[in-house]
Amino acid sequence: MTAAPGPAAAGFHDRPPGPARWAPYLFLAPGLLLVLVFSIWPFLNTVILSFTDAQILRAGRFTGFANYRRAFADPDFWLATGNSVLYLLVVVPCLVLLPLALAVLVRTKIPGIGFFRSAFYTPVIASAVVVGLMWQWVLRSDGLVNTVLRALRVVSEPVPFLTDSTMLLVSAMVVTVWKGLGYYMVFYLAALGNVPVSLYEAAALDGAGAVRRFFSVTVPQVKPMMLLVGTLSAISALRVFTEIYILGGESGGPGGGARTLPFLIRQVGLGFSGETGYASAVSLLLFLLTLVFSLLGRRLSRGDES
Amino acid sequence: MPRSPMTRTVLAALATGTFLSSAACGVGGGPGPAREAAKTGKVAGEITFRTLQLKPVFTTYVQGVIDAFQRKHPEVKVKWEDVPGDGYNEKLVADAQAGALPDVVNLSTDSFQLLGDRGMLADVARLDPQIAEEYVPGAWEQFKLPGKGDSVYAYPWYVTPEILTYNTDLFREAGLDPAKPPAGVEQFFDYAEQIAARSGGRYSAFMADPKGRLPGDWQKMGVPVLNGTKDAFAFDTPKAVEWVERMKSLYAKGAMPKESLLKSDDINQLYGAGKLVFGPGSPGFVKDIKQNAPQVYATTRVAGAVTGRLGHIGIYAQSLGIRKDTPHPDAAAEFAKWVTNGPNQVAFSKKATIYPSNAAGLADPYFSDRGDGTDAETLARAVGAEELRSAQLDANTPVQWTSQVGDAVVREVQKAIQGQQDARTAVRKAQEEANRLLANAARK
Repeated sequence: MTAAPGPAAAGFHDRPPGPARWAPYLFLAPGLLLVLVFSIWPFLNTVILSFTDAQILRAGRFTGFANYRRAFADPDFWLATGNSVLYLLVVVPCLVLLPLALAVLVRTKIPGIGFFRSAFYTPVIASAVVVGLMWQWVLRSDGLVNTVLRALRVVSEPVPFLTDSTMLLVSAMVVTVWKGLGYYMVFYLAALGNVPVSLYEAAALDGAGAVRRFFSVTVPQVKPMMLLVGTLSAISALRVFTEIYILGGESGGPGGGARTLPFLIRQVGLGFSGETGYASAVSLLLFLLTLVFSLLGRRLSRGDES
Repeated sequence: MPRSPMTRTVLAALATGTFLSSAACGVGGGPGPAREAAKTGKVAGEITFRTLQLKPVFTTYVQGVIDAFQRKHPEVKVKWEDVPGDGYNEKLVADAQAGALPDVVNLSTDSFQLLGDRGMLADVARLDPQIAEEYVPGAWEQFKLPGKGDSVYAYPWYVTPEILTYNTDLFREAGLDPAKPPAGVEQFFDYAEQIAARSGGRYSAFMADPKGRLPGDWQKMGVPVLNGTKDAFAFDTPKAVEWVERMKSLYAKGAMPKESLLKSDDINQLYGAGKLVFGPGSPGFVKDIKQNAPQVYATTRVAGAVTGRLGHIGIYAQSLGIRKDTPHPDAAAEFAKWVTNGPNQVAFSKKATIYPSNAAGLADPYFSDRGDGTDAETLARAVGAEELRSAQLDANTPVQWTSQVGDAVVREVQKAIQGQQDARTAVRKAQEEANRLLANAARK
């Protein structure tokens, strides 16, 4: 057989002639460059800095694992790690389950449900600072909640929502969950839209009630989405900062008792006397913690697939 | 070719890591040493001038000052850039790291200290040996650094003194005489105790705000913040412990809003709503209250700041630093002097509630006019200016007391005020941590 003339004559694996060989790389270059400069390099820089005693505007000297040893001996580091993990353990289940329930609710066809769909999404687009300030006025000792509780004689003294470290963490968790509800609800709405109606019809024919249909049809069908939401919310829970900063002030709650790892990183690394080296080491440790939980999520999803 | 699960895991991990690490990516390396600029005697060239959040409110004023300077020195072109307050310091550090500091730059006490210490600012005392006399002595001295001799690293610009503001209605209600404001920290606490006892929880005496009160309150009580050689903190004294114990007792008695232990950003709202006896100690606040809460303004009285044993206040001036290796030192120095001269500072003070650090400027009759003695805003201006004339350096927050030192001390103090540890332990631990941070910062 004779090969036809023209471009089609070139074999599939043959290299395109001339400059065209570089075309894909040229198309990729702008994006790659951005990732390289703003993600990969800062990451590598953080790794390098974590082994030095660098400070703001002062080059570091190599100090080996000194920053890591310091972190492991630092009570503040363990306090922040404990708070971050606790945050994750409380917030993630709430953000996996509540938005799903909400998504199922807003899919029901009742008049005016469109309003609620939008209303639930509002906190997502509200600025974190505005949300924080609003909650601050709700939760402070003379705020809305305490005023109502005292008027109803449920409590005699105001509940220290913001001035007790544990209560402050819980308050921040409530804000995070409240703000995340609408966001993850949209994820679930998309997943629910893909569940075949025939499954529900078959289950109904078999005599399954609404609750049974939810657990036997809805949950298994949206399980991959639940795992995704779990992983995403775990990562964002480990990065929580704004809620605690706005509710608990720049010390991170009384005596800094509600500081999380990102809070600690900011505290030691920023400012004019910032210890960049130590902050980088804590940052890397936070990265490892995130990695552990991400891998855990993957393990769960793989177990599910098999 | 499909990637193995492990490859995907590693890629995902890397992606997550890069995402996360952005929180910590800071400037680590230090820039090379800057070469000191030498004056040539020729005022010419293009210089950059960076200000802190003056646009759009003061655009006309600043542009007017620049235009007048350019008319006087036609060979100079001033490029003005205004940066918002949020992120100002971060931008400053990033620019310093990149060797891209503006020629003339507005600095706070913290930033002047960092850039001066790292050898990035020109010694203005050397650039202009005679200029010192033009400024209020306390302001000029403020821009010297420990261990750097008589070098001065910035031209003093505008100043905001501390004053005392209080609600006379609530003062009387608590059985206090508005004509006798507290003069010392201990008396201030006594008044607060009486207010807490009589208010029935309807209003508080003052904001706890330990970050704002320290180390000022300790200095006013005669507590030495630093040792004699100024290379270590020495505030761990019975007087400092007494301060913490007093704060703890007053907090428990309701003399301060509970949340004010953590943050004090709602002070204007609380004072404006008549829920606070002592308002903020800045003259600018009086203007805000006049606009936002006229009824409370009518009952507001202004007095000199609580000074205690010091008997005078400190100076907290904004300043203009000159980049050490600016290619146009003559133009930069002339321009900084122009912006901070008497007439220009007085004109600025008439547009904003600030005061000149320039001696001739402060002598302007505008700052001694008390009106009929009843208008709080006019009084605030006169009281503030009077205090500035006698301000002394020993009442300033020492440059060693950085924001991080303040935070570390405050965390221990907060625990003690809430009863999680005793006052003695709190002050001891605060000093230990402060000294650790100081030793760290002193590393070369």
